[in-house]
Amino acid sequence: MVRSVLYLVQKEFRQVFRDRTLLRVILIVPIVQIFVLGYAANTDLKNVRLSVLDQDSSRDSRSLADAYYASDVFIPGPRASSPAELQNLLLEGQTDVGLWIPRGYAATLLTSDAVAVSMTFNGQNSSAAGRSVGYASEIALQEVGRYLESAALAQPDLARRARRIESSSRFFYNPELRSQHYMVPGIVVLLITIISALLTGVAVVREREIGTLEQLMVSPLTPGQLIAGKTIPFALIAFFELTFATTVAVLWFRLPLEGSVLLLGVAAAIYLNVTLGVGLLASTVSSTQQQAMFTMWFFLVFGILMSGFFYPIENMPREVQWLTYLNPLRYMMSMVRGIFLRGSGVVDLAPDLARLAIIGVVTFAGAALRFQKRLG
Amino acid sequence: MKRVLAVARKETYHILRDPRSLAVAVVMPIMMVLLFGYAINMDLANVPVGILDQDRSPASADFITRMTSGDFILEVARLGARDEVEPGFRRGLFRAVLVIPQGFGERLVSEPLSEIQILIDGADATTAAAVDNYLKAVVGMVNLDLMVRQGNARFRSQELRSRVLFNPELESSHFVVPGLVAVVLIMICALLTSIAITREKETGTMEQVLTTPLAPRQLVLGKVLPYLVIASVDAALVLAVGNLIFGVPMRGSWWLLAGYSLIYLLIALALGLLISAVTKTQRVAMMIALVTTLLPTLILSGFVFPLASMPLPLRMIGRIIPATYFLEVIRGIMLKGRMWFPVQGGVMLGMAVLLLGMAGRRFRTRLE
Repeated sequence: MVRSVLYLVQKEFRQVFRDRTLLRVILIVPIVQIFVLGYAANTDLKNVRLSVLDQDSSRDSRSLADAYYASDVFIPGPRASSPAELQNLLLEGQTDVGLWIPRGYAATLLTSDAVAVSMTFNGQNSSAAGRSVGYASEIALQEVGRYLESAALAQPDLARRARRIESSSRFFYNPELRSQHYMVPGIVVLLITIISALLTGVAVVREREIGTLEQLMVSPLTPGQLIAGKTIPFALIAFFELTFATTVAVLWFRLPLEGSVLLLGVAAAIYLNVTLGVGLLASTVSSTQQQAMFTMWFFLVFGILMSGFFYPIENMPREVQWLTYLNPLRYMMSMVRGIFLRGSGVVDLAPDLARLAIIGVVTFAGAALRFQKRLG
Repeated sequence: MKRVLAVARKETYHILRDPRSLAVAVVMPIMMVLLFGYAINMDLANVPVGILDQDRSPASADFITRMTSGDFILEVARLGARDEVEPGFRRGLFRAVLVIPQGFGERLVSEPLSEIQILIDGADATTAAAVDNYLKAVVGMVNLDLMVRQGNARFRSQELRSRVLFNPELESSHFVVPGLVAVVLIMICALLTSIAITREKETGTMEQVLTTPLAPRQLVLGKVLPYLVIASVDAALVLAVGNLIFGVPMRGSWWLLAGYSLIYLLIALALGLLISAVTKTQRVAMMIALVTTLLPTLILSGFVFPLASMPLPLRMIGRIIPATYFLEVIRGIMLKGRMWFPVQGGVMLGMAVLLLGMAGRRFRTRLE
């Protein structure tokens, strides 16, 4: 019983190892990808070029401009000497943000409601622009506030009555706010997802297409054994990659692994149930390898983009957020990030683990049923 | 030419015989653009935030209302004690907690300085920084108001006038949809052609092809043509969806975009063919096509993560990826109305010729 499954596993492994190209795709590509993508998936806002048109040229206007460069987001861009030139710099993409400080800027601040400074952003990348608008406004507000305050405090009776709220921020888990810490665990999830789903997706169809499925069918194997034999090798490969990618994350990218490795393994086992189930399901509904591949491709692109890897799920429209509850990657993504960074434990992850387990049982059972029917 | 067309006709039969794959190839890109154009929103809103009000005074209630108005943050929980903060973070209930210490209201009357604390889950650094910035700015606004209330009516809270070029409402879909066009097209095209030659090898019809007087170059061209038609239909449909449904503006010329798209599709198809020529089985061919296009195009092309903030070696890798150039072209034409892309156009044309040539060459070595 167990032995025949072992033979099948052995056969599947032989087929994988015999094919040098496939072996290379399975082993080397993920290694390269975790190193490269770990550096690439970076949402830190850095090196935003800011060009200043300073028509005031006073101490106050310079201190406003310096406040921008003091932040680690903005770097100096080419200077402009007229509004038209500033506009041109932006249109030609030589700068990202234009800051226009008109003559008499400080005086305007004190005496009127008129707009004192204006900024123009290159909005082509809406995400980056949105965030630079946020940063820039915050810096301007702080600078203006500081200026007004010092002006107010110069008047003694006001100074006595002045009240202010001071806020201090504390960042948990990732005090240096490195986006890499958030992205690398996500890449680990992507790698095991892609490899396990794709390999399973074509495994059965391939046998059917080249005609060896009949041979398996006439063997005394039960459908259950056949399914086990077709999924266990890919689960093992996925586990190998999980181990490797986690090691790289911890040793190379210096990620904290706050939570338990055992929990990571358990979560992965439950998760692989789903990806293998999806792969198997795809191979039962497809009659050619290409169809299976297209199905898996759709699952992967959908799953990755809706997993919260790139875009926070909270930003999505309500109905789409409901849809993401069906997405296994969503749970795995947030669990792995939680285990790595926040040290989330079984109790914290219990709801996600349970939902993932349900999805896993349903897809796997569905795949097994269809598989049996197609064999019969 | 006649021979090329004959190969093209044969390949068309292959495609038509499997209508399901064809339907998938045409329908999927549209579905994806529809779904993601609608779903992907990069502007943060409704970030869940917890409140720990240890003061429970009218002043603190008033301050909390000020802080949570607006749709950037959303109050989801009232905490009773400090030790509820971390479990909440670990369970992902909220991203930040606003702590109003005891005595806040009294201090606000009697002392010059009152303190509050913002505790933020820093795991997602981007969101964390944005939330921190936002909350600080609101505190700054409250402070300016306090000063105004203290008596000097001349001090008004200042508004910064900001203007965003090319995408004034910062509409995510205007950025995402052209990007999706580039990403989806290269993946589907590479997948389509990656099996065009391996299928012949695997099913054993390759020998028959080899006995014909076809030159490798004719075979490669003939294999590409039908897929180019499918891919062009795909591209046209996807662009139409972007323009008509998501209102992505077209500030440049459709013809120009069509021309560049054609070059881009050729690159993608040639990439698939090259993979097909060097591999022996469909499984490996498709695995390679997917693995080489999926993550690199999503992550390294500037689709989401700006190339400018990557380290230099990665920017160089990004420059090998065809989608990087096409993304610049399509966003440039649609959003900026730029007309002239000498660098991108040249590189893309070079890539297309190189890949097609390599596919033909690699194929010839197998003939011998």
